[in-house]
Amino acid sequence: MPPHTKPHEVIDPVIEFRDVNFVLGGRHLLNDVTFVIGRGETLVLLGRSGAGKTTALKMINRLLVPNSGEVRVEGRSTLEWNPIALRRRIGYVIQDIGLFPHYTVAQNISLIPRLEGWPAKRVHARVKELLEMVGLHGGKFEHRYPKQLSGGQRQRVGVARALAADPDILLMDEPFGALDPMTRGEIQREFKTIEKRLGKTIVIVTHDVGEALVLGTRIGLMEAGRLAGMYAPREFVHASDPMAAAYMAQLRVYEEARGQK
Amino acid sequence: MSLIEFFARHHREIIQATFEHIWLVGMAMVLAIAIGVPLGILVTRRPWLSKPILGGANIAETIPSLALFGFLLPVPWLGGRADRLAIAALTLYALLPIIRNTSAGIAGVEPAVREAARGMGMTNGQILFQVELPLSFSTMLAGIRIATVLTIGIATIAAAVGAGGLGEFIFRGLAMVNDQLILAGAIPAALLALAADSLLSLLEHRLRPVR
Amino acid sequence: MRFVRPVATALYRRSSILCLVFLLVSCGGERGNTIVVGSKNFSEQALLGEILAQHIEARTHLPVTRRFYLAGSYICQQALLSGRIDTYVEYTGTALTAILHDPIEKDSSAVFGRVQSEYQKRFNLAVLPSLGFNNTFAIVIRGEDARRLNLKTLSQAAADTPQWRAGFGYEFMERPDGYEGLARTYGLRFSEAPRILDLGLLYRSLLEKQVDFVAGNSTDGLLSARDLVILEDDKHYFPPYDAVPIVRNETLARHPEVRAAVAELAGKISDEEMRKMNYAVDGQRRDATEVAREFLHAKGLD
Repeated sequence: MPPHTKPHEVIDPVIEFRDVNFVLGGRHLLNDVTFVIGRGETLVLLGRSGAGKTTALKMINRLLVPNSGEVRVEGRSTLEWNPIALRRRIGYVIQDIGLFPHYTVAQNISLIPRLEGWPAKRVHARVKELLEMVGLHGGKFEHRYPKQLSGGQRQRVGVARALAADPDILLMDEPFGALDPMTRGEIQREFKTIEKRLGKTIVIVTHDVGEALVLGTRIGLMEAGRLAGMYAPREFVHASDPMAAAYMAQLRVYEEARGQK
Repeated sequence: MSLIEFFARHHREIIQATFEHIWLVGMAMVLAIAIGVPLGILVTRRPWLSKPILGGANIAETIPSLALFGFLLPVPWLGGRADRLAIAALTLYALLPIIRNTSAGIAGVEPAVREAARGMGMTNGQILFQVELPLSFSTMLAGIRIATVLTIGIATIAAAVGAGGLGEFIFRGLAMVNDQLILAGAIPAALLALAADSLLSLLEHRLRPVR
Repeated sequence: MRFVRPVATALYRRSSILCLVFLLVSCGGERGNTIVVGSKNFSEQALLGEILAQHIEARTHLPVTRRFYLAGSYICQQALLSGRIDTYVEYTGTALTAILHDPIEKDSSAVFGRVQSEYQKRFNLAVLPSLGFNNTFAIVIRGEDARRLNLKTLSQAAADTPQWRAGFGYEFMERPDGYEGLARTYGLRFSEAPRILDLGLLYRSLLEKQVDFVAGNSTDGLLSARDLVILEDDKHYFPPYDAVPIVRNETLARHPEVRAAVAELAGKISDEEMRKMNYAVDGQRRDATEVAREFLHAKGLD
């Protein structure tokens, strides 16, 4: 078993993977993946393209189901959950965001609350609250359409939408990948501050080592469908594991090039 | 008698024939939409059906209209009443543009939008009615517009098999070698097609989604 | 939801337009009090339609619209069924075979009876008594040949046919109750295969001696104006094609006076009278409306 994944260490498990295997088109996209995420953690799944990170993420909100093994959310197997009910309790942010072009910002954000039948007043108040939270101040964003927003603004709306119904779990798949590095850095820092306020259990998929270190309370390194290791950020920085070391080396090269150490 | 006088003298019959024409086209379009839109949606859900469904509609479209009317004449319930026959044939003609545009419109919805909708917990029905269809309306309407104009034109031929409509004036005028009679059918038919095209174009533009 | 509204509006608009149209069409179907007279697409039919129309106008004072030159029995039948016309003149033999799809019979009153009862039962259409003539097939030879060989009937002519050339229209050759049956019934044999001629050229070819034996219609106009003789169908091979007015029962219910008006025309047109009128229109290029009016006046029906 990879280091730091002993189940008894996690007091309040929210998400569990138990020997999860996933095969598609003859390829093993996930191989005996096992780990536990505790409440309030932010787990960053880090790895190269094709490592299986997104596949694992999609197991949590049952967009995919394992061929063998089990994924448990809030104590129940995803197969036992009603998929719609499960997904409505989980916020989902993807790289291309996928805002509905025919809805205003307010309508996009309030999608799930409205589907859940919230009264209009409550919806309205929640939209305002979320816009403030993600840094879209001024009240003039509500009635804009996605095409009128910049990439960064769209990303913030995407996050707001995911948080609208106040889910306990947030899944993010390369959420800031489509942004330019400046905006990305800015948003990562802002996200860090609201992360603490939210107290949610968050799983983020990324291939950006810097992002993993900034945002994660734990980093899960994935390679070829396997979980190669679980580290706290400090541990990752000094890890002896060759892959972790390779990532860190890359980061140092990068930082040196930027003139920082 | 000038053409204007002719139209004035026979305005009642011309209006009557115009309504007969609209009835044929209207019924066919209602049926074609009722059948075509679900089929278009089905094609996006089961891509392997694309070939048979679109292929079938394509065949119906390719058969010359008069021939199709002729094929349907011996069919028991349909051939008994010319208007039923005409509506059946016109429906078949209208299907292809509607099925094709519905499936193209839905397929044109960005994958990220669909994935986000699913991931957030929208049911298939909610995704269809609140995301896919609204975003496809403009494209679907283009298909409906094409089908309507097509149907108005082919409906003039339906008079050859006794379905009435504006085509009857044209055929009678040809038999009697009477230009005015021919125009009494041809002009309203052309105007009808133009009106339908403009009206539906307008609707199409109004419904184009803000992207 | 912002998007539902334009959709709903569009659907509402479309369906309300359709409802409006539907209403107007059904109201349009009422046509007030107008009687619509139809006809098929040849001059005899236009004449008959005109006679019917003028007489209904004169007797009932209802407004009458003409919808002539409809392209055939099927079209006229459909127009009757859907209410686009109220009446037209059909031929009993055609009604029996082409509309009712029943096998042909030779007895005139049997055919009429069957047509009348079946039309009432199947289509709710009233078949009124014949106008008086039978537009059946007519075998025609030159007058001089008839007199020289003393021929009056087809049976008599059968002996002479080997010396003749025959000319027929395409349809007559193809129909099972056309040439095939005729030749069998009378034992006809020709020196060569019959020539297929354009209907318009049949009589001209006959008169110019390019052919000697043609099949026309008994009410063809030229027959009254040229030295041509119809050979009697003594074996009653050709089915009856009595001209009968067919009227919608709904029309008769709404306007009973129409039945009286049309019935008044029963038996008023003989074969020869029809021929003369056809000749006036086809041969002399006179206006059908005038010819019809003259006829009604001459019969004291106006």
